Amino acid sequence: MLPTRMLPNRSRTSVLVFLLPPLLLYCAAVLFPILQSLFLSFFSWNGISDMEFVGLANYARMFTKDDVFWRAFLNALLYLAICLVLQLGGALVVASLLTSLRRGRELIKTLYLLPAVISTVAIAFLFVRIYSLEPVGLLNQLLQSIGLGSLERPWLSDVNTVLAAVSAPEGWRFTGLYMLIIYAALLAVPKELEEAAVLDGASRWTLFTKIRFPYIRPVWITTTIMATTYGLRGFDIPYLMTNGGPGQSSELLTTYMYKTAFTSTDFGYASTISVFIVVECLVAVGLILFLLKRKSDA
Amino acid sequence: MITQTAPPTPPAAAVPPKPPAKRRRRPDLFRTLSRVLIMLIMIVQVYPLAWLFLTSLRTEHDFATGDPFALPGALTWENYARAFETGDLGRNILNSFVVTMGANILIVLLGMMAAYAIQVLGFRLSKLVRGLFLVGIIVPVQIALVPLFIDYAAVNLLDTYQSMIIPLAGFSLPMSVYLFCSFYEYIPKETYEAASLDGAGPYRIFGLITLPLSLNTVVTVVLVNSIFIWNDFIFANTFVLSEELKTIPLGLQNYIGAMGKVDWTATFAAVCVTITPLLLVFLVLNKAMIQGLESGATKG
Amino acid sequence: MKNLFRAAAVAAVTALALTACGSGSPTSSTNVAPTGDIKPREISWLLSRPADGAVINIMKKLADDYAKDHPGFKLNLITTPDRPSYIQKLETLAAANKLPELFDTDATPFARQLAQQGKMLDGEKLLKTLGIYDKYRPGALDYQRFDDGSLYMIPFQFELEFIWYNKALLQKAGVAVPKSLDDIPAMCTALRSAGITPIAVDGQDQWPLERYVAYQPFREAGPDFVQKLKKGEAKFTDPAGQKTVNWLAELGKAKCFQDGFSAQGYSDAQNQFTSGQAAMYNIGTWELPSLATDKLNPAVRDDIDFFTLPTTAGSVTAANEFVSPSGIGMAVNAKTYDPLVSDFLKFALQKYPAEYAATGVLSPTTDVETTVPANATPLYRKALDQAKDLGSKQAMPWDTQLDPTTNGRLQQELVLLVQGEITPQQFAETMDSTIAQNAPKFFK
Repeated sequence: MLPTRMLPNRSRTSVLVFLLPPLLLYCAAVLFPILQSLFLSFFSWNGISDMEFVGLANYARMFTKDDVFWRAFLNALLYLAICLVLQLGGALVVASLLTSLRRGRELIKTLYLLPAVISTVAIAFLFVRIYSLEPVGLLNQLLQSIGLGSLERPWLSDVNTVLAAVSAPEGWRFTGLYMLIIYAALLAVPKELEEAAVLDGASRWTLFTKIRFPYIRPVWITTTIMATTYGLRGFDIPYLMTNGGPGQSSELLTTYMYKTAFTSTDFGYASTISVFIVVECLVAVGLILFLLKRKSDA
Repeated sequence: MITQTAPPTPPAAAVPPKPPAKRRRRPDLFRTLSRVLIMLIMIVQVYPLAWLFLTSLRTEHDFATGDPFALPGALTWENYARAFETGDLGRNILNSFVVTMGANILIVLLGMMAAYAIQVLGFRLSKLVRGLFLVGIIVPVQIALVPLFIDYAAVNLLDTYQSMIIPLAGFSLPMSVYLFCSFYEYIPKETYEAASLDGAGPYRIFGLITLPLSLNTVVTVVLVNSIFIWNDFIFANTFVLSEELKTIPLGLQNYIGAMGKVDWTATFAAVCVTITPLLLVFLVLNKAMIQGLESGATKG
Repeated sequence: MKNLFRAAAVAAVTALALTACGSGSPTSSTNVAPTGDIKPREISWLLSRPADGAVINIMKKLADDYAKDHPGFKLNLITTPDRPSYIQKLETLAAANKLPELFDTDATPFARQLAQQGKMLDGEKLLKTLGIYDKYRPGALDYQRFDDGSLYMIPFQFELEFIWYNKALLQKAGVAVPKSLDDIPAMCTALRSAGITPIAVDGQDQWPLERYVAYQPFREAGPDFVQKLKKGEAKFTDPAGQKTVNWLAELGKAKCFQDGFSAQGYSDAQNQFTSGQAAMYNIGTWELPSLATDKLNPAVRDDIDFFTLPTTAGSVTAANEFVSPSGIGMAVNAKTYDPLVSDFLKFALQKYPAEYAATGVLSPTTDVETTVPANATPLYRKALDQAKDLGSKQAMPWDTQLDPTTNGRLQQELVLLVQGEITPQQFAETMDSTIAQNAPKFFK
């Protein structure tokens, strides 16, 4: 089976020349460590003790005995959902609006990407300030001034709001990035197609759903996968802002795994959680491909 | 008069088709609406950076006691002096630059090569290889820390530029492969066939057709990765020990004092200094990206 | 083909992992006086102290002095002030068998395992051989000891922790300095009704709140309680445990800590106190430069004072016994210990105390007098004087005592308890079962 072959005459050597260097780097930096992790997940090891083979005990502990793990799993899904809405939704809206602008596009794009260049340390500190109640932070000041004083709260200490509060900065931070990608794709939509549709009396909405969106679908799938996997990998901001707290209210699988590895020095169990995260991500990406690809075929 | 309802779904007002005569007014209203919306979003996006900069100009006392969101009472450059005194910012920036450049070169070059092999050349197991790369997109980087550390210790790579560049490039490579792959899908088969008929082999076609056409994707890939790599903390913290190799996020650590006390105004001054290079690069690349997009408009 | 690859990979992984944990040649942790020539070379100290702090500056200077007589010597100081990042670095280095000549660690269960594997040099023997063991404050050394009394880390600091308070704010609320720990909840209620934040606490760094859980058991049952608790021999459902759990719940109910404390950092908490918004602030003498010199906000300068940890009715520990940590300690790697390291330590440790005390801080030794800085307020001297009259017991911070998993869970559950999200019963149950699950792995 030869799936896509654009070049009729190409030697086997040429494939290897192009393929081997990237594969080598990739195996050394990514695949090999993953295998090592998989291997470690069957052991009890704290880094300095002798490794002790425990079979599936780590997996049994994860699925049956660890309440924090399940909490972290649910949190991670919610975190992902909020990030996706902010990043993809926000990106699509702004990218579409941007194409309708005549002037200032470049300036806006530049400014829009700004949050992505700030280091997470600074972002975390900034948002701690924004959410703070004592001294009263920006968000609470804002609520007060628009007459919603009753909603004032310490957003990061309230177990009901903290997860949303730590997701928002992550979503906010990368909206610009995804917007750029989608915007580039939207620009590539052939003008003739759009003009023809407009002449046919298509509304903006029809124009978008029937012409633009199908055209950018491959990019949209990529972007969705990118945002999903980065969302599932989210770590810095919750880690820096709340360290998973209060309680386990903002604990994600990644922060939990990191703590298990580097605070509890339970490398075996941490690897077990890693394996779960890998599987979780694979399933998520599989789902995305399945859903979006099926639609495009239909 | 048309009653304009709020758009129920992004991105544009869901207005049913109207008689052509009245169509001319709609774009204006739409444009005003989008401008207002864009302005609002802009404020949310830009404000934090402005706040960061303003805070770096406040006095310590003002920051500690005053409302941190009000305009500062007095401006001072003293924080910048302290920032340069405490840390070796110049060296940190240089190190970050070396790491970012090194990783980007690998990511772009190897990413293009892999995508070229998978998408253009094609081979029996290309789907498998593609799937293999997909795994890398989705693996959380923290998973690799302990194994990589052990491996590096075994081959004496700890505390080198390579120890940071290799995992940073490795983990970004899948995304780059993926982006190049989806871009190469757009390059029409006829282009290649024509070149092939002219007698060009896979290497020449790569150099003469694929590479030049990829430039705007290169910019996107570089942009995206630079942002992640420039601010990477986790690999640098794990693999780098000596002061001479510390990148910016590690350098910022020097502002943390005993028991977690932080000189925030100096830290913010340092943050402002350290994001400037990335901002400048970004501004330059942004231009290049527009050009790339315009010249490549014929594709697809 | 695929299977072959997988088999090869797993085999390679195994080989690597085995070389990593096959702990190399057995080393002796007791040979503190190695024989042979001193061959100057570059040695490293992996440490977790402020980059521009007194310890680093002095050790740099001493290393330079030493290098003058021993050309080729260099002390490479690698600091990671952020403690979680530091611990991660230390653990990965230990796992890869790449610990440098000197490294910092608290007397944690992880460090104890390193010591048991013979990776650290016996500190007590070392100090005795150098003839400086008796100069150290007993409390400073005790802080570094493991439960069995063995000593592997050398202290470089000595600090006392007090509860600082704002006289004017207490007066405004009509409350006095608490005589007993049990007075504090009522005091907070009074302060709150006067519109004052009772206690400013750095919730983000976890350890400050964790101090509070240690106080009641230390008074009620003495320092043994936490040593038993961490092994599962004592429980939160025991009387001393119950007392602290209920007390913390009361602190929470009385709204003792600033709203949203769990997300506030070190500087924010301190600013609340020094700007006169919060009435009390629990911190150690390392903050003397901010709290007892003319750097302190003039508006509160004359109102600030401190009291030591209050006792309780029936307290088994005395008023002059409280938290007096000697900071993170320095361990000596047994594997790389040689005549050079030995000679340098001898040189540096003898000269260090005088230089250190000259910077206005308490030395871990008793042979030097601390220089009070010129810009100090009278409170500075008063704080230093507390070190002259200390009891023989000290309250150990729990974060250095518990196994790391239990510690992490405790820090999380504490916030929930103080915020009233969980009941004292739930707290005690969760913690006791967490200890039962994790302690055996660390305290075999």
